[in-house]
Amino acid sequence: MRRRKVDHKRWITGCMATLILFLQTGCWSKDEIEDLSIYVGMALDLPYETVLERKMDQLGSDYRKRNHISFTLQIVDKQSEAKSGDTKDDPTSKPYLNISETGDSLFEMIREFATRLERPVIGHHLKVIVINEALSRRYSMNNLLSFMLRDNDIRLNCLVMMSSGTARKVMEAKGNSIIPSFRLNGMVDNRYRTLKIIPPVSLSKLESQMNAHASYLLQNVIAVNGEVKLSGAAVILGKTQKFIGRLSEEELLGTIWLTGEGKGGVVKSYDPKTKQVITYELKSMKSKIKSRVVGGKISFHVSIESDGRLIEEWMEGNETIDDEFIIRSEKATSKEVQRLIKLGLNKIQNRYKTDVVGFGSRLSIEHPKVWKQVKENWDETFSQVPITYDVKLNISETGSKQGH
Amino acid sequence: MSSQLNNKLTEMRERMSFHSDVCIREITLGATEIKGAIVFVNGLADRDLIDLHILKALMTLRQDCAPLTKSYVMERVLTISQLSEVPNIEETVAKVLMGATAILIDGIPEILLAGTTKNKSRNIEEPISEALVRGPRMGFNECLSDNTAMLRRHGENDSMVFMSMQVGSRAKKDLVIAYMKGIAEPELVEEVAARICKINIDNLPESGYVEQLIEDDFLSPFPQIQSTERPDRVIGAMMEGRVAILLDGTPFALIAPVTFSMLLQSPEDYYERWLAGSLLRLLRFFAAMIALLTPAMYISFISFHPGLIPTKLAISIVGSRIGVPFSSLIEALIMEVAIEILREAGLRLPKPIGPAMGIVGGLIIGEAAVQAGIVSPILVIVVAVTAISSFSIPQYSAGIALRMLRFGAMFCAAAFGLYGVVLFVLLLSAHVCRIKSFGVPYASPGAPYRLGDWKDFFVRAPIFMMRKRPEMMHQESKRRQKNE
Amino acid sequence: MTQKAQDRITTVQAAVIVSNFLLGSGILTLPRASAEVVGTPDVWFSVLLGGFVAIGAGILMAVLSKWHKGKTVFQYNQKLLGKWIGGTIGLAFVIYFFMTAAYQVRALSEVTQLFLLEGTPSWAIVMVFMWVSLYLMFGGINPIARLFELILPVTIVIYLLVMLMSLKLFEWDNLRPFLGQGILPVLDGVRSTALSFLGVEIILVITAFMSNPNHSVKAVVIGTSIPLVIYMLTVVIVIGGLSLDGVLTRTWPTLDLIRSYEYTGLIFERFESLLLVIWIMQIYSTFTITYFASALGLSQIFHFDIKTCLYGLLPIVFTLSTLPQNIDVLFALGDFLGKSAFFLFVPIPLLLLIITKWRKGANKDAAEKSGS
Repeated sequence: MRRRKVDHKRWITGCMATLILFLQTGCWSKDEIEDLSIYVGMALDLPYETVLERKMDQLGSDYRKRNHISFTLQIVDKQSEAKSGDTKDDPTSKPYLNISETGDSLFEMIREFATRLERPVIGHHLKVIVINEALSRRYSMNNLLSFMLRDNDIRLNCLVMMSSGTARKVMEAKGNSIIPSFRLNGMVDNRYRTLKIIPPVSLSKLESQMNAHASYLLQNVIAVNGEVKLSGAAVILGKTQKFIGRLSEEELLGTIWLTGEGKGGVVKSYDPKTKQVITYELKSMKSKIKSRVVGGKISFHVSIESDGRLIEEWMEGNETIDDEFIIRSEKATSKEVQRLIKLGLNKIQNRYKTDVVGFGSRLSIEHPKVWKQVKENWDETFSQVPITYDVKLNISETGSKQGH
Repeated sequence: MSSQLNNKLTEMRERMSFHSDVCIREITLGATEIKGAIVFVNGLADRDLIDLHILKALMTLRQDCAPLTKSYVMERVLTISQLSEVPNIEETVAKVLMGATAILIDGIPEILLAGTTKNKSRNIEEPISEALVRGPRMGFNECLSDNTAMLRRHGENDSMVFMSMQVGSRAKKDLVIAYMKGIAEPELVEEVAARICKINIDNLPESGYVEQLIEDDFLSPFPQIQSTERPDRVIGAMMEGRVAILLDGTPFALIAPVTFSMLLQSPEDYYERWLAGSLLRLLRFFAAMIALLTPAMYISFISFHPGLIPTKLAISIVGSRIGVPFSSLIEALIMEVAIEILREAGLRLPKPIGPAMGIVGGLIIGEAAVQAGIVSPILVIVVAVTAISSFSIPQYSAGIALRMLRFGAMFCAAAFGLYGVVLFVLLLSAHVCRIKSFGVPYASPGAPYRLGDWKDFFVRAPIFMMRKRPEMMHQESKRRQKNE
Repeated sequence: MTQKAQDRITTVQAAVIVSNFLLGSGILTLPRASAEVVGTPDVWFSVLLGGFVAIGAGILMAVLSKWHKGKTVFQYNQKLLGKWIGGTIGLAFVIYFFMTAAYQVRALSEVTQLFLLEGTPSWAIVMVFMWVSLYLMFGGINPIARLFELILPVTIVIYLLVMLMSLKLFEWDNLRPFLGQGILPVLDGVRSTALSFLGVEIILVITAFMSNPNHSVKAVVIGTSIPLVIYMLTVVIVIGGLSLDGVLTRTWPTLDLIRSYEYTGLIFERFESLLLVIWIMQIYSTFTITYFASALGLSQIFHFDIKTCLYGLLPIVFTLSTLPQNIDVLFALGDFLGKSAFFLFVPIPLLLLIITKWRKGANKDAAEKSGS
């Protein structure tokens, strides 16, 4: 048996120390969740002060700043709703609250909200950042996203999108059941239904592109009357990290086919014989980029393969669908794909002179030595590089209808 | 009439003058003229036995046997199994007060003592504190001889050793150390015996006293000796090389040494098929984690790390906590303390009211507290899950340990958030790694690794695979099953 | 003070102690630290080579220690080199160990303040941590080894879980080309990656406690291999997920990888809390064993009671941990510690080994001579 002697003095000191510790520490980092405003979306726009801000300015709200950016935060506003079930019926209450500031430092503006809101804002749950393309033409991504990448609250899986219209408008919704940021976040998941949505670009992906001085695409989103649409993509030039132009929806389709990153979607074409609609739903898509260096000259060849089904045709007399027709449809569809690729390639190679498809990274993998030489001026070099492609489509089935 | 007998009787009367329950009956032996007397305690001694085998035998004595000798009475007259002789009065009085009957006969200097103690013991009933779905329905009762008999009855086993001892300086009580000879490590048995010998207290009302007086670390929140009222559990432990301690007057036997993982085991794990047994055991480990940490996690996520929970959950928590006037610690404390009080009250109430009050109290308090906006509905879920999880711990004393520690975890969480919870878990693990129960590390077989013993740790391997007894016990005989 | 006879650890426990020492702050920073030096996606290859270097050094030290049964390096180097030189070298080891402890605890307070407890003063974080560690150390080497045995499997399981979950960000192209710039940058990187395997030197101390010192080589090889695999996995998955360019600018890249994904619908959805939990546990184990080693060293060199040493080091380590002004200085301190470890734990054990061998040879000769 062990000796059972209790040193009373030591005990009392120990207890006191623990007690003091708990009394002292109780409130250092404590911040109850309901005393915080959770923001889930952010919109960056060209400086345009809201009516409210202007009125506040007139009343003397002023500090030293240059009006470079208008900054909108979307806060989930459960507070009004949650008192109890009663206020839920109030048709005017929206589940979110948008609040704007104009200034030059994003972080300063965020802290400015502490003077305007009962509950300070926290960024742990930021889901999406929408940037106005005109703003991005002016300032580089490095500057615009500097705060978001440094902040320890904002997670790196937050998505970044562009808007050709006002970004603040994207953060609005018509009904009072939708939180616009969640809507955007959810729409990105629809990639298995359409080719018009590019793989989501999160802050972490964007940062690696930024550090590599690579060019890349950002999803473009347009908003009308509280409704939004993902339409086309914005092209960011690697060297400046600024917006240089937009790809239309068809041009975007072309680049998606080149990257082979599509998960599902349709290709609509017209039967050359009957001029009727043929719709192809793709089940899989693959693209292989091969780089070739012959005597210092770089060239690429892209072979694209796809497998899918014939899902819709507008034949007149309900003719039988025979092998000949299938081959015809395959041809028509692959021709359509080639048209899209040509459109897209033309835009990125000749107009914007940016490699947003990833030819550079293929070259770096297959010819690392050559890549090292051309790395610095890759976008320039890329615009001169000959690129060939072939498309192989295969209609493997005609859905649940056979023959006719 | 000899004065010898009278002297003895007077002395006895004097000694036992405060004991109103003592009966002294003077008789004349059969056809002889020899006087005698018997002394017994009313109620303690078995009347039927006295009437039939002592009084009748003595009073129908034939005349021709005189002169009456001690050996004649003992060998031919008294038809009673337990018979001894005592030289002095002092000892006689002590024995009589325990239920024996003293027989005094004129002409015989010694006092004869007949074992007539009537064991008024409870019937063998199902153990209340450790209920099983499958398994023997037998539980210990308050009578030591019944309990040892129950162990004996388990199977023909000549290696089962009962080492008898007496404890308590004023109220002497029987205590039995039971172990399997050839399995239990002799050093362990010696250690247990030595610790029990060192007990120096006037009274031991229950085996809990023994437990607290021989345990290794009195500051630890964990029980270092297992208490059980199931004979099958004791047998199981003895077959693993552990030592059991049985005390007269209590249905709770003690098992030593014990490890942390044993507290989460139930005999049923072995009776059910191995897959079910293993899964139930995993479930219990999981439940223990929940019971210990959930309120602390709630506090740390609500008050410190809103960024570490899913967005939608965060939003709904914000919605439900709007209007709650307390910080999460106070809120959780209110509910946890209320639940603990409810549980304690339910235990103390008469059986028919207990469960009803538990349900009513729980439902009404929870519902009303939410309605009144004192606590958030999410917390009610947290507290309920915690309480239910802690019910699934098969050992009552281990359950109490977890319930106490839960409050510690909550305070740590309130001071340092998740960091505090991690440090609390580290401190607790450090403690578990430091203490030993009778030389066996409390954390084994988790640490130090004894991979052989892991067959009976988080999972319970099929019985045919558990060929060896747990290694941590250093038994003399290691194998349970013979190799083919 | 000599340790009690019952303070014996098994070979597995020795291996676990080595593993737990190795897995420290490096888990979170290694991808960046090594990527900075290597500059190509072949970082994992550097880590592998670095691991082999460490195992080599570990074997050297293990062989040395097992020749001095039951004695720690602090004791036998005094025997081999004389009281003064041996004592000075022992003291250098002690200083190295408690500097490492201070470095680890400071890294802990930095990360905790950044991601868990913004606003809590660093002294509170550090102090509570040190107390909890001290409680364990008072139990001696056995509870330490046992706790480490509990921590290691938990760490490995949870770590693999969060790492494998991040595979949805993983892209092979980020790891290619293999050896695109030749082998030179890889070899260059070994200098840096080998430093992340600091910790094998603990074998110099714990061999003394092993119940079977002849297995010390086995212990050090197993003990180093586990972190080697984990580090390889970390580097491959982090760089595959964030790409080399993405890693370079992140202070705590592994944590950022976990912060780059979300699994909607799973209970946690975000898993950095799990990573932080096991990371704190690992820092705890690294801190505990370094601190214990330095206290043990002090007590053996100056013949103090080990409890006095444990208490006495507390303010020193605490003060040291508050000294680096910012995180860059902290990382510079880490580099410095690594380099000094290289000078302390490669040439000196080699020297001791040679002396031991020479003495043994001499003894044998003497024995033979006296015999004949």
